[in-house]
Amino acid sequence: MFERSGFFVLRALRNMRQSPMLCSAAVGTVAVALTILAFFAIVVLNVQKLTRHWSEDVQVVAFIDTIPEERILQQWMADIRGLPEVEKVDFVSRAEALKRFKKRLADDADLLEGVAPDILPASFEITLNEESRNRVGVSALVSRLRHNTGLSDLRYGQEWLERFESFVSLLRFAGAILGGFLLFAALFIVANTIKLTLYARRDELEIMALVGATPIFIKSPFLLEGALQGALGGGLAVAGAYALFQLFLQQGLNSLLLASGVERVTFLPLSWQLLLIAAGVLLGFAGSLLSLRKLVRI
Amino acid sequence: MIQIYNLGRAYQKDSAALDDITLKIPKGDFVYITGPSGAGKSTLLKLLYGAEKPNRGQILIDGQNLTRMSPARISLLRRRMGVVFQDFKLLTARTVFENVAFPLEIQGRKRYEISKKVYQTIKQVGLEHKLQRHPLELSGGEQQRVAIARALVVDPLVLLADEPTGNLDPEVTVEILELFRGANARGTTVLLATHDRELIRRFPRRLIVLESGRLVDDRTP
Repeated sequence: MFERSGFFVLRALRNMRQSPMLCSAAVGTVAVALTILAFFAIVVLNVQKLTRHWSEDVQVVAFIDTIPEERILQQWMADIRGLPEVEKVDFVSRAEALKRFKKRLADDADLLEGVAPDILPASFEITLNEESRNRVGVSALVSRLRHNTGLSDLRYGQEWLERFESFVSLLRFAGAILGGFLLFAALFIVANTIKLTLYARRDELEIMALVGATPIFIKSPFLLEGALQGALGGGLAVAGAYALFQLFLQQGLNSLLLASGVERVTFLPLSWQLLLIAAGVLLGFAGSLLSLRKLVRI
Repeated sequence: MIQIYNLGRAYQKDSAALDDITLKIPKGDFVYITGPSGAGKSTLLKLLYGAEKPNRGQILIDGQNLTRMSPARISLLRRRMGVVFQDFKLLTARTVFENVAFPLEIQGRKRYEISKKVYQTIKQVGLEHKLQRHPLELSGGEQQRVAIARALVVDPLVLLADEPTGNLDPEVTVEILELFRGANARGTTVLLATHDRELIRRFPRRLIVLESGRLVDDRTP
């Protein structure tokens, strides 16, 4: 069995050495397609990071009409804290609200002189936990909060959140469509490249079949060759994407995202890099399989 | 050895390449298959080594039904068959030795075993002094000897030859035929498709005549 595998690997390598042009074409195609895909993944990944960062600001503010006695207030806070979407609850008293307002007015704070200290309502500032920092989470929380009639008005940046979420999902969708097209094109080209190498060796294949090589014995080296080419292409794509990231993307994304508060623009994590190489392997394998099915029929 | 029942093969709807052929070829027989071009000789051989499937009928080789075999089983059956063609079908990038060793390599035989067997077989066809030559450096007759050596190296039960002397001059033809006769004398069943009447006249054996896909004569001298 091991002897056989060794034979297949040797044959695959020899095939690749015998037609370097075709081999490079296949590797190059996989590499280009996956590099573009990786590029998109980096952008989506970092924009998503930005979303997470921004979503930390997603809060629901519940205003309180008349402040109940301390015991009930504590009870309300405990109730809200117990809701599944909630990370923490802060009580902002009327005095605190006025203090914040004054601070925000800065130099114009004297405008507030003579204003009654209870002009602003007290409120709960409710921070959502990470999974709920989205449209669904916010509306779930708001509908729960409405049960408490002591809370007069609920404010949340819903419209902004919705717009941002649809932007991210559009980006993801565009990435998936483009990626799908690229993978399909790469599959097509890899399949055709392998078909050319098979065509160049059709005499050998015919004689192999004639002297009793089983179909799997004939096909295995070519499948392996496809997978190897795919792996090489995938590896090159990771390296290429990293080079492009260092040269252009990092700066571009930095200037775009840093201003918005993300600390650092990052490259694809290791698991994504491995996924990219695995995609290359799969691509090469499937490409070989497609062309072999049509060509080797003896 | 080879049993063929009601064999039919058509490439187009209304013209049959082979039509209702029934034959029995005992072990160790030497059979010529003859007939004009397009009579179905090559088709019959292709069906016998499983390169094509019949539209109807059965082929049994050594008791195994070829028509119902999976591709992998057909491959294993081919390891006990030798096939020789008019155009030799040699690998031009490989030497004489490598060409003859090819079937044994595919069967996964040990290296020393391959060397020994290949040398013996090449000696049998008289090319032991050209082991390291490439096919294109050899004459037509020599190339056909290499092809025959490749077919014989596996000690086949059956040797199928499709116009093996079609491209060769009469002297070389006789030499090649001697090789087939030698293999037959060692127990291999030989089926030789040819339209060379002179050859059949000089070395008479059982003769199967096909015409337009039909079996029109089957006689033993």
